[in-house]
Amino acid sequence: MGDSYLDLLMAQQEETPTEEIAAEGGGGIWVVADIIDGAVAPVTLEALGAARTLADALGAYVYVVLLGNGVADLVQILYQAGADAVRVADDASLAEFALEPYLQVLSDLFQTDQPEVVIFGATYLGSQLAARLAQASGGGLVERVVAVSLDEATRTVQASVPIYGGEYFEIVACPDARPQCLTIEPGAFPVPFLDAYRTGEPALLEVAPVEPRVRWVGAAEGFEPPDVPLSRAPVIVAAGRQVDDFALVERLAARLGGRVAGDRGVRDAGWIEAGRVIDVRGVEVAPEMYVAVGVRGDTFHNAAIEKARFIAAIHPDPDAPIFQVADLCIEADPKDVLSALLEALQ
Amino acid sequence: MDFMLSPEHQALRRLIRDFAETEVAPVAADLDREHRVPHEIMRKLGQIGLLGVCFPQEYGGMGAGEIGYCILMEELGRVCTSTATNVGAHIGIGAMVIYLDGREEQKQKYLIPLARGEKIAAFGLTEPNAGSDAANVHTRAVREGDSYILDGGKVFITNGGYADVITVMAATDPSLGAHGGITAFIVETDWPGFSVAREEDKMGIHGTSTAELVFEELRVPQENVLGKVGEGFIPFMKSLDMGRLTLGAAGLGGAEAALDWAVRWAKTRKQCGVELAHKQSVQWMIANMATEIEALRSLIYRVGWMVDTGQPFTQLAAMCKLYGSEVASRAIDMALQIHGGLGLSRDFPIERFFRDARIAEIFEGTNEIQRIVIASDIFRQHGVRIRP
Amino acid sequence: MKIAVILGRVLNPAGIVVNRRRGRIFVNREEYVMQPADRCALEAALQIKDGSEAEVIALPRDLLPGDAVGSADVLRRALSMGADRAVNFTGRASDVDDAGMTHVLAAAVERLGGVDLVLTGATTWDTGQSQLGPRLAEVLDWPQVVDAWAVRVIDDRAEVVCQILSSPVRGDRGGGSGYSIFEVDLPAVVTVHPGALKSRYPDGVRLINVYRDDGVVEQWDVAEMVDTGNLVPLLEKRGQDFPPQRERGVQLEGTPQEMAKALAGELKKRIG
Repeated sequence: MGDSYLDLLMAQQEETPTEEIAAEGGGGIWVVADIIDGAVAPVTLEALGAARTLADALGAYVYVVLLGNGVADLVQILYQAGADAVRVADDASLAEFALEPYLQVLSDLFQTDQPEVVIFGATYLGSQLAARLAQASGGGLVERVVAVSLDEATRTVQASVPIYGGEYFEIVACPDARPQCLTIEPGAFPVPFLDAYRTGEPALLEVAPVEPRVRWVGAAEGFEPPDVPLSRAPVIVAAGRQVDDFALVERLAARLGGRVAGDRGVRDAGWIEAGRVIDVRGVEVAPEMYVAVGVRGDTFHNAAIEKARFIAAIHPDPDAPIFQVADLCIEADPKDVLSALLEALQ
Repeated sequence: MDFMLSPEHQALRRLIRDFAETEVAPVAADLDREHRVPHEIMRKLGQIGLLGVCFPQEYGGMGAGEIGYCILMEELGRVCTSTATNVGAHIGIGAMVIYLDGREEQKQKYLIPLARGEKIAAFGLTEPNAGSDAANVHTRAVREGDSYILDGGKVFITNGGYADVITVMAATDPSLGAHGGITAFIVETDWPGFSVAREEDKMGIHGTSTAELVFEELRVPQENVLGKVGEGFIPFMKSLDMGRLTLGAAGLGGAEAALDWAVRWAKTRKQCGVELAHKQSVQWMIANMATEIEALRSLIYRVGWMVDTGQPFTQLAAMCKLYGSEVASRAIDMALQIHGGLGLSRDFPIERFFRDARIAEIFEGTNEIQRIVIASDIFRQHGVRIRP
Repeated sequence: MKIAVILGRVLNPAGIVVNRRRGRIFVNREEYVMQPADRCALEAALQIKDGSEAEVIALPRDLLPGDAVGSADVLRRALSMGADRAVNFTGRASDVDDAGMTHVLAAAVERLGGVDLVLTGATTWDTGQSQLGPRLAEVLDWPQVVDAWAVRVIDDRAEVVCQILSSPVRGDRGGGSGYSIFEVDLPAVVTVHPGALKSRYPDGVRLINVYRDDGVVEQWDVAEMVDTGNLVPLLEKRGQDFPPQRERGVQLEGTPQEMAKALAGELKKRIG
């Protein structure tokens, strides 16, 4: 069976240089990959997208470091997302994240390769590695970045950092110190197009045995974090009288990691107690995310959710006042939407 | 003139505001609805040391002076008048009278645990026939050996239902009246002969205990005479004087809360296409409230400073109580009006404050008495002695 | 044992209004509070002290000009809540960033001598930065545990509860909720998750006495501790950006199923 014309065209594209880059050494936009549940984390792909943009503007290459155990089949997606070269440290000691073993590999690597920019995901792993590596190498670190631009004259990355969770953004740059390290907020950058024709051969790194200094003891059985009052809960799902099956609302709240509340109507119906009524006469809230399911939204309710960052509302009546304050409006009956929503959130 | 509060008072205000918003505000409506005294809150206040805020540290207090006490009453008054009333009766009149006129042994025995919040105090003055006519007490105290036997009763005693220590005014010599016939006694409520007859069912301040007390052959050792025998009227009047200032401070708190809600409601509520904030009638009400609050605040803290620096303050303290109670009532009334029908809803705190505010014009010396005090003092300065 | 707690101040956003349309920030009320995560770190230190013979020393997260009330107030608050000592760093005219502060704090920890545990907040409320604790651990060459929910000291080890929500290996380790116990040998740096612990109220008498005493916070001159050449900030602020005005009333189209899927996408994006 002959290849298609497109396949032939693609095959003619230059092979991505691999060892040549390693031989040149120096500079480059590096990405330290995160692995979650045995796969390359979305934030790593997003980082690659950002790295690619910076590299193209600076005339540099994009290098990725992947650490883990048995990660050989995770390498290709890195090339597809834009990596020019991939370094892999594959060892049993790196199976779970442990700071010192990971740091040993990375600091050796960075000393040899002297990156210009290093991008990490702002994850439990990424933020710890970024801070220690920045300190060890004398570089600057900007964390939780949501956007970047480039000052081409000085080859300086200008990073946007959300202030007070996004009230406004501060633009921060590291003009002189190198490497310039960034941790990027998951979901802030777009996932790049995965080019299936981009392939490559990773370079394997030596992994010296290093003892982790923090030891996992076990699960914290029965650990209960302190109660957060409803007025300070970051995610709230509120039910209104249009809700058919209150249990679905509770499941939605559980899935989103939020609290269940409601308007006065459901309090009168006995589904929630008085302390969970969202109303100027009840509880005023300021969550990051507020999902109003079947809530009509009278003035007193809407005034109580004024400070919410993001409001999504589901109600069958297009004239429901809730739609005047919601960011995202779904004109539908909750019973038609809730199950599908729960499924889509799996 | 530096009108700023000192760093320790600013820090104290932050602490109390934090406490009031976290511990008191969430339960204020429940206290009112359930007619429940906030024992938990009193305990926590005691643990921090706030139940002795104005007493010196050597007597278990915080040493923050009258200004510190005004701050406490203002911040509590902002969230819950009932809590402020419990605290005021304990510190301002109950324990204060022991601080002002107690002997060293009495201070050691009673003031220290009261200041630490380990015990709660009350002030036993009022009787059915002795309200504004405070000297007309009928509770008898008869000397018997090395103690006194008290017989009689008191009414409308705040904290009376649960206090551990009550300073009681009784007549040792009814024929002499106020001058030589009245003695103050420190009474411990677990002594035989002391009982609480009933609790008043009131219009407001439901979170307080307003009790009728009965003394039946209540034996009080002579060491518990406060001040000199026959001169009990003086410590009581001195204590009431001090208490007036801080009652005004609680009124300031209530008025500030009313202004806050009125502004928030005016911002939120839309009628005829615009928020109420754009209506002149509402603007004038807000402006009036704010102006009176500023005037009251200046008065209260200046008088607090005068007390703390040892200057005479009787007339000014009376003004604080008079003006404070009236400003609070007016401000809360205006806030209620701005809320319209919703002002009467039990879901909003306004109606609770409205019911709670009324008593301030009556207890701890009615506003009429305050006016007499002020006028008497003015005329005295001009050489005229007012005939009562 | 000696516990050093690093406490920072932050401008209370309740006093700030951001006008997105005009791209301006108005500060109506300049009120500084202790960084919430640092407050939790202080509470963690005080809880360890409650159960043992520990000494808690408060250090500032920021270097502020000499007459700025900010840092010193945070330190005084720590003293009023139960810290034994508080040290402020003086002698520097302008701001220093995390990299520079790390040098000062490392020198302070050395000068204090015998510090077993450094506690600080995991993230700053305003800028969302978590690097100070780890940077300090790197300079001191101490192990670190970040984003702790609880800290306990047993002999010469610390036991820390962390919430690990995702792990490289398939399946999670902490049971349903992800809370795991980790153990680290002291000395170590531990950063505390904001909201992990409920702060105690200061003791009233202590509060009054601390705020009345001008000399209660010790003053250490930065120039005596580090080479001030090391304090030049690595990062530079280059202005602000404002999010677009909220786009309200975006209608989703399609069948209820399609709308549900679109909504799920939006929600997933925001819960991270």
